[in-house]
Amino acid sequence: MLFTSIPIHKYVANYNPKPLKLNLKDPYIPDKSREKTPEWQKTAKYDRKLFGRYGLASGIDPAELWPSPDQLEAMIAEEKEWQPSLEKMLANIAVKEKEKAKKLQAREKLIAANMAKMPKMVEDWRREIRDQKVKKKEDKLRRDRLLAEARARFGYALDPRSQKFKDMVKEIEKEESRKRKQLKRRKKEEEMAGAAKVTEAPATPVTP
Amino acid sequence: MSVSKTPGGKALDVLKTLPRITLANLRPNPGARQRERKRGRGAHGGSKSGRGHKGERQRGNRPRLGFEGGQTPFYLVIPKYGYNEGHSRRPQYQPLSLKRLQYLIDLGRVDTSQPIDLTQLVNGRGVTVQPLKRDYGVQLVEEGADVFAAKINIEVQRATEGAIAAIERNGGVITTSFYDPISLEILCKPVPFFLRGQPIPKRMLPGEDMVPFYMDAKNRGYLADPEKIQQARKELAQKYGYVLPDISKDEIHRMLAMRKDPRQIFFGLSPGWVVNMAEKKILKPTDEKLLRYYNS
Repeated sequence: MLFTSIPIHKYVANYNPKPLKLNLKDPYIPDKSREKTPEWQKTAKYDRKLFGRYGLASGIDPAELWPSPDQLEAMIAEEKEWQPSLEKMLANIAVKEKEKAKKLQAREKLIAANMAKMPKMVEDWRREIRDQKVKKKEDKLRRDRLLAEARARFGYALDPRSQKFKDMVKEIEKEESRKRKQLKRRKKEEEMAGAAKVTEAPATPVTP
Repeated sequence: MSVSKTPGGKALDVLKTLPRITLANLRPNPGARQRERKRGRGAHGGSKSGRGHKGERQRGNRPRLGFEGGQTPFYLVIPKYGYNEGHSRRPQYQPLSLKRLQYLIDLGRVDTSQPIDLTQLVNGRGVTVQPLKRDYGVQLVEEGADVFAAKINIEVQRATEGAIAAIERNGGVITTSFYDPISLEILCKPVPFFLRGQPIPKRMLPGEDMVPFYMDAKNRGYLADPEKIQQARKELAQKYGYVLPDISKDEIHRMLAMRKDPRQIFFGLSPGWVVNMAEKKILKPTDEKLLRYYNS
């Protein structure tokens, strides 16, 4: 039969390790005393490799597989210098986080303070713009009025840059200031007069 | 014409009489293969062999992509934001999906009766890890979380929350742990390392940037407090809405409870030991100083 019920467990794969391709029967062990042996085969690293491959048959002393006291000291010193302990790293992390939080807090504070100033600043800005607009409008009105005045005075449209126009503006301004002064003076006089009346009033005889 | 009496027809009869299909009697279908054309032979390909006249086109030595003949190329002219800053130095984690893990388990390529670490995964050809190419291990991703049904004790380098939940829902255990590149190479390829005849080194601790990840119980980090991990397991079960199986009464509780020491690379082998493959022996140091160094 072609199709039979096959027990599945037979067909389940499992780990099939590669064969160790080592010549264990006749291993090559270099003769260190010979001059022809390459230098790299006389090193401690190669000795370890030989032991790793062939075990005690390599003739290497197993004690040499581990670092010598000097090497161990160097290893310990290196570890001390470059590999901080977990506690040290945790302390470093805590410090860094604290610094970060502090920075963040300072920034948040600054933002909050600036945001509190914000409404006033916006109001100021709006008012400034409004004032500018009003001023511009007034200036324009005044200029038109002056031009009209000049036209009425001379009978033709004057160039606002001309000397004639400027003189006229100066004159008008002078007149205006004089009028203003007069007005002021009159007001003052009136006030004085009013005050005099008030002071005189108690002097009138009171009829019983 | 002979008529077959079996319902399958003549083809089935033929199939039954044919020998078993083996690699020895397989060959490509007729017409499936075409002979490669030999260029530069007389009229069939001509003098230029269809590559045009002279230059980089004919010789096939075109410059690299983006090269503009010596003028500052466009990709260097435009300044750019540092999204890819240091990309060539960032740790890489090969993805391993739960779907693939289940596939490996179903085929018997990964043995669930033992704790699974990177050695098992690499030996089962589940992942390829190249420590020299900045690989720092594998990350377990949650694709196939709904079909995952194995109870395992697995150790990976990174894992997503969903993947952790899928493993713990089935009564399994997961640990994330750090391996420095040297330990990782040893863990992935133990036999070549043992053939070097060197003592197994200590596993290094993660750097300052990775310590918070591996200290976090939510990531099931190997440096986290075991009690906090128990708490996190319960919380995750609540979040994903499953009943956490009680492992302590399991018959394979001993296997599930197996965890490596933070300084240990292999299960059952301490740092400082030498494994000899040829003699099938383990050599342990006896010197006080050596022992103190390897056990610290």
